[in-house]
Amino acid sequence: MSASDPKPRLAFLTRVVRNECRHLLTTDQRLFDQPFSAERAETLEADPDLAERVEAFVGRFGRLQDTVGDKLLPAIWPRSARRPAPPSTTWIAPSDSAGWIPPTPGWRCASSVTRWSTVHAYVEDPALLSSALETAHGYVPRLIAIAERLASEAQGRGWV
Amino acid sequence: MGMLQGPSQITQCPNPIDGRPTMRLTAEQIEGIRRIARRLAGEQVEVRVFGSRLDDRARGGDLDLLLELPDPIANPALLAAQVAAQVSRLMDGRKVDVVLAAPNLRRLPIHEVALREGQTLQ
Repeated sequence: MSASDPKPRLAFLTRVVRNECRHLLTTDQRLFDQPFSAERAETLEADPDLAERVEAFVGRFGRLQDTVGDKLLPAIWPRSARRPAPPSTTWIAPSDSAGWIPPTPGWRCASSVTRWSTVHAYVEDPALLSSALETAHGYVPRLIAIAERLASEAQGRGWV
Repeated sequence: MGMLQGPSQITQCPNPIDGRPTMRLTAEQIEGIRRIARRLAGEQVEVRVFGSRLDDRARGGDLDLLLELPDPIANPALLAAQVAAQVSRLMDGRKVDVVLAAPNLRRLPIHEVALREGQTLQ
């Protein structure tokens, strides 16, 4: 194995991504066993267990996005695409998607939503917080589908 | 010797109010931001810029926007994120934060700052 052999790194990243998908799904199911309404957001202060679930969801969502967008995709792109990589996954429009690499509409949008879930304006306004979390929850299937697709393609093409 | 300014360069915009700072945004960027805000939030939206973009001595920096709406917003986080994402793309990836003011949202200190210091995009 040469030092520049990308296989071990890609194998590592696909394992990490699959683990992170599993973790996100688990916390997603635990947090959204009922809708995250503004009324429910009001109870966060007095419900440490719920607050921890919110933190876990936001953290795992952001971590998976970062791993896919900043690590896995940049590692795969040079092997797959004929055109230069876009600056980040936020820019992958259908026309840039190079065939099997899925476009990522809403990527930055989802990223903003989870990032903002931790800032004061959102934490202090239950309507905003519930809206942010429900929006991120709605994006989970798409995020996981993108992550799984990239991992499966890398595996299927013998790159890992 | 004068320097030519391309459309992508930051220009000093005319200041409509004496004694208040200017915005480091091009006319194209201002029009683009207004267009995005109207398309996503409706024709009645009012857009203000606040924060470091009002500081002419600063360079680059995040863009802070306040969107004021007369009616309640069904999904405020999604609206704010959509506006931020599209304006960020317009601004070549610059970080954009969007604060919303609407009847169904709490009024927080950040709103007071934005209303006091912000400039409306006209």
